Amino acid sequence: MVQSSEVAEGSLMEERLSITARRLRGFLSLYRRSWIGMLGLLFILAFIAMALIAPYVAPYDPRALVGLPFRKPSAEFPLGTDQVGRDIYSQLIWGSRVSLMVGLLASFFGVAIGTLIGLVSGYYKGPLDAVLMRITDLFITVPNLPLMLILAAIIGRSMWNIIFVIGFLGWTSTARMVRSQTLSIKERPYVEAARSVGARDRQILWRHILPNVFPLVFANAIVGIVDAILAESGLSFLGLGDPTKPSWGLILRYANEAGALATGRWWFIIPPGLCIMLVAIGFAFSSYSLDQILNPRLRERR
Amino acid sequence: MGFKEYVGKRTLQGFVTILLAITLNFILFRIMPGDPTRAVSGDPRVDTATRLALIAKFGLDRPLFEQFVLYFYNLLRGEMGISFVQIGRPVVSIILGRKMVNTLVLMGSSMFLAFILGIAVGVVAAWRRGTKTDVSFVLLSLATYSMPVFWFGMLLLMLLSYHLHLVPIAGTITAGVAHPNFLAYAADYLHHLIAPMMTLAVSFFGGYFLFMRDTILDVFTEDYMLTARAKGLSDRKILFKHAMRNALLPMVSLMGVHVTFLISGATLTETVFSWDGLGRLIYDSVRNNDYPVLQGIFLIMAVLVVIASISADIANAYLDPRIKEAA
Repeated sequence: MVQSSEVAEGSLMEERLSITARRLRGFLSLYRRSWIGMLGLLFILAFIAMALIAPYVAPYDPRALVGLPFRKPSAEFPLGTDQVGRDIYSQLIWGSRVSLMVGLLASFFGVAIGTLIGLVSGYYKGPLDAVLMRITDLFITVPNLPLMLILAAIIGRSMWNIIFVIGFLGWTSTARMVRSQTLSIKERPYVEAARSVGARDRQILWRHILPNVFPLVFANAIVGIVDAILAESGLSFLGLGDPTKPSWGLILRYANEAGALATGRWWFIIPPGLCIMLVAIGFAFSSYSLDQILNPRLRERR
Repeated sequence: MGFKEYVGKRTLQGFVTILLAITLNFILFRIMPGDPTRAVSGDPRVDTATRLALIAKFGLDRPLFEQFVLYFYNLLRGEMGISFVQIGRPVVSIILGRKMVNTLVLMGSSMFLAFILGIAVGVVAAWRRGTKTDVSFVLLSLATYSMPVFWFGMLLLMLLSYHLHLVPIAGTITAGVAHPNFLAYAADYLHHLIAPMMTLAVSFFGGYFLFMRDTILDVFTEDYMLTARAKGLSDRKILFKHAMRNALLPMVSLMGVHVTFLISGATLTETVFSWDGLGRLIYDSVRNNDYPVLQGIFLIMAVLVVIASISADIANAYLDPRIKEAA
């Protein structure tokens, strides 16, 4: 008796895994056909590589004063030096770490909150839903960047705080989408069936609803990364980023403070902005292709 | 549910949101390091007489709940305290004045520009979906979306101001110039507006375009489009009379939600271009710990956003009877 149920459990598990694997393969073959998506992926991988090998390719310590201030680009300093004599090129390379870390973690954090709130709100409905939706409305209503500025000023300027602040304010769209998706999924026959054989709410949410909203959550997370990277750069540019870690927004802040615009030092301004843009484009392109693949309604239309 | 009830429901929801925003605003500024209480009692920038008056007015020596009630009561009378930096100036007069007008002009004009462009290009791209035109616009819009708005502003400044000397470097009007008449003033103002407006418009364009394109593609799958085609209507008529009209509805509600993004973009753009508006005021106030001003801006913006999103929803419901039914 015990054995047979174990066998059943095992084969069920296997079947579930094989379904997942098949879906994944199907997804990958679709994704590979989209050149926009592949290009995006290439950009992302390039910047991840840059972040990983930063200590080996950056010629100097990004925070060390290694030369005279305001040196022009040369073999010694590929992008010149900033106002206190730090190497801009080294700062640029190390900056990829902050950008990717903040982008990935803040988005993950925000999407996790949003998914949780959306699931609970859509599944339980009633007063809990009403309360959660009013809170969501409130977060949609408050202007994000100003609130981020204030929160960053309150809790201090460290990278982890920036991640927290961006994630904390970036969950609303996920919550709304997951909620509406949950509302429709929970009416489906298989959820009904699961409930009739005595599955608990938590089981239903975890095993039947979450897997079905996951594609949506995943697509949202990628868009969230773009937004988080841009938000981090904005915060750093306004002087509320982590002052101890070189980031692209911070370089642009230095450039602005040093009057690089007026003096025409384009090498101080163009590269960091371009890096922000390219890494964001990488995720934006990927998210665009994902959206086309994961949203079957869109696929049919074509 | 009828239209009136829908309007009533949305207004009530908006009212609740504003109440929540006021509460959040109150809490947020009590947990600041050097919160108003301490700032008022210890800030050297505030003299003793003003300090005592503030403490009395906002009950800063009383329990937190009483402070909240007093804060609320003062708000209803349009009283938001005084600035810590521009000593003695009431917050209300700092916010509701030239700065607000400047911000509204900048935000309004760039939003309008991006909106029109997004709709026009979105319709064209959707109509020619899959073609090179469509794909290039999609790529372009994803690229503009991924661009840090302040960086694009810096590039524009570098090119248009420092290189080509076409537009002024900073500010809203040329300093030290006495304008002979209103027309000259307006011309000068518009001249200053060009670069920041372009910056913001480009940063919003991507979102509007992608949304419009998607919505039009959705509309194409509707049955009434097939009917229109079957009736033998011309492409132009189908596109503009049927598709665009129906796609405009979601665009309107998007604009309502989008105001918060506008504010974020405006803060950065105003900082780059030294545009004398609320966004720049936020930046300055954060740097100077001018909490009363920040608190005031926050509230005004939250109210603006709520009003914008409710008006968008109501306009939508008015234009689209299906929403009324579903609501």
